[in-house]
Amino acid sequence: MGAPLLQIKNLEKRFSKRGLLSSFGNAETVAAVDDISLYVNENETLGLVGESGCGKTTTGKMILKLATASAGQIIYDDIDITRMPEKDFRPYRSSIQMIFQDLDAALNPKMKIRDILKEAIKIHQKELNEEQVEARAKRLLELVNLKQSKMNSRPSELSGGEKRRVGIARVLAVEPKFIVADEPTSALDVSIQAQVVNLMQDLQKELGLSYLFISHDLPLVEILSHRIAVMYLGRIVETGKAEQIAKSPKHPYTAMLWSSMNHQPQSADKKAAELMNLDVERPKTGCRFAPRCPVFHSNGRPSVCTDPDNEPKLPVSQNDDHVVACHFPLNR
Amino acid sequence: MSPAPHLLIEDLHTYFYSSERHAFIHSVDGVDLSVAKGETLGIVGESGSGKSITMLSVMGLIQANPGVLKGRVTLQSKGGSVDLIPQIEDYVELENKDQSIVSVKKDTVSWRKHIERTMKSIRGKEISMIFQNPKAALNPFTTVGKQIVEMVRLHNPSETEKSAREKAMYWLERVKIDDPVNRFDAFPGDLSGGMCQRAMVAMALASEPSLLIADEPTTGLDATIQASIVQLLQELKTDLGITMILISHDISVISALSDKVAVMYGGQVVEHGPARDILEVKDHVKNHPYTKALLSSIPDEKNVLPNGHLKSIEGEVPDTIDVPCGCRFVERCNAYDAGLKTKCVNARPRLVNITPDHRVRCWLYQE
Repeated sequence: MGAPLLQIKNLEKRFSKRGLLSSFGNAETVAAVDDISLYVNENETLGLVGESGCGKTTTGKMILKLATASAGQIIYDDIDITRMPEKDFRPYRSSIQMIFQDLDAALNPKMKIRDILKEAIKIHQKELNEEQVEARAKRLLELVNLKQSKMNSRPSELSGGEKRRVGIARVLAVEPKFIVADEPTSALDVSIQAQVVNLMQDLQKELGLSYLFISHDLPLVEILSHRIAVMYLGRIVETGKAEQIAKSPKHPYTAMLWSSMNHQPQSADKKAAELMNLDVERPKTGCRFAPRCPVFHSNGRPSVCTDPDNEPKLPVSQNDDHVVACHFPLNR
Repeated sequence: MSPAPHLLIEDLHTYFYSSERHAFIHSVDGVDLSVAKGETLGIVGESGSGKSITMLSVMGLIQANPGVLKGRVTLQSKGGSVDLIPQIEDYVELENKDQSIVSVKKDTVSWRKHIERTMKSIRGKEISMIFQNPKAALNPFTTVGKQIVEMVRLHNPSETEKSAREKAMYWLERVKIDDPVNRFDAFPGDLSGGMCQRAMVAMALASEPSLLIADEPTTGLDATIQASIVQLLQELKTDLGITMILISHDISVISALSDKVAVMYGGQVVEHGPARDILEVKDHVKNHPYTKALLSSIPDEKNVLPNGHLKSIEGEVPDTIDVPCGCRFVERCNAYDAGLKTKCVNARPRLVNITPDHRVRCWLYQE
């Protein structure tokens, strides 16, 4: 296996904290994405999980250059695209695509499905004549298991599951290799969600796609992903094969996330439940998870966890290693 | 004889007029439900199955125009039994053509007035409701504490400002908002989603209702926050003995909290019974094919097929205007055999008792 299709190295995104005045002098900034590194191989799905506000979507947007990175590198197909001017990036736009969370905002309500698909095809393959474009649009509908009769419908006449399929068909129109899927099923019902997930898996096999699958639905991520990266307040705290992350998590945060899924009546560990609820600002120093960390509290608040110069770092991972950024990783 | 249920819904129908399609949408189609005092009823179903509309109808929150209601809802209130939906036939003339409405003549104003008169003493005092989006339900320009004080005084005018304030503080503590003294003066915008939902629960309980309706209380919240809200509801249920109706599409939330479960599909209740009989698939229990299919499409290891696919229900939720004349689920169902098929397509199954407290609407289990 060669180099990964997508590689992210020490990527950062900072937003300034205050409004207008921040453009003067050294304004206080907050790192939404703070020094993360990850990679996605060809034909692979990497799941990115974490609570809302942890920087999952910002990461996805930076890969598509919908948000500019403050520091770090994004390497796609061996080429650094981080600061590439838009003119040069154009060819990559069709290769890297995104499936957005909001079904209704992503499709133009005034256009028929036929026109939505044709528009995308024409932009990508200018040399095709009208007949070929039509044939290609038909083929796309087939790919996502939609009836040809839907061609003449408008988005408002379709159900949630159908809209999602049209969204996927349009993304496929430009023949991408890498797709960032940002919560693709969060607006769908369970039974429809399963259909869409199955479709995404089939397309991956058929077309050799790679996915960055962003979601907070943990069981779904576990099933769909080959590897999982867990994010907490802008940092990746653990990454490894899906099975390892789900079955033997090493970071206390990962363990907390997974245990929160089974709503067990009256969790035996009251303290752990309290910490889960805790809604805290990021501490200024040391490990950012420490205030909510059950291990930190049960170990008598070790000073290494709050040491300003010693925030745990994620070791560089290659070859699907299971790595964790924690001073006291769990051992299960 | 067992005591009358806390809330009894009999043959409830709710229609909406779709001006786009010039027809009535039959959103709730003959729902029969009951919940006993102190019990929690969980209602599951996909979007569009009518679970929220059923509860909005009960609360009298369906606008008289364009919505139309039919049926009977009886509440055992503190002062005795109350009929929540005044006999609509007195105000509205329905013109029926094989079970679907063709036209309505109605006197909406007096009907509306009648409903408002009845509901005034019910909303908040007897039944409170919490909604999916807590940030939208709170007033962004008033502090959380003040909103709860308002609620307390509205339902109990004899409370002084001071005693109402004490009560509000008590409820904020009760729902485990940390640092309630400071949060009391916080604006909703300063609170996180989980906190806002806690404040909503405090507000709903501050008027001391005997029945709480929670419509998707955990949807849109993070997994960790969801778990904590579920835990809070569990504690309130045991400590206050409150009756609860919980609407959710998240089966794990329903199974953590409910004693009884109702499964809705296409505006109808297709199964209603004890939670353990419905949510745990067992071979000897006669479940509705939809319930089985729904449970097996939850992302979970045991629902993954050998080719890596999740089990799914093919097709889409049926249209509520051109209602199939037989079973609602027939097009997506894989449980019937050739002998039953004509029956499933052409005749509507009734909700029949499998055991004394477990009812299923399926031709597989009836003559």
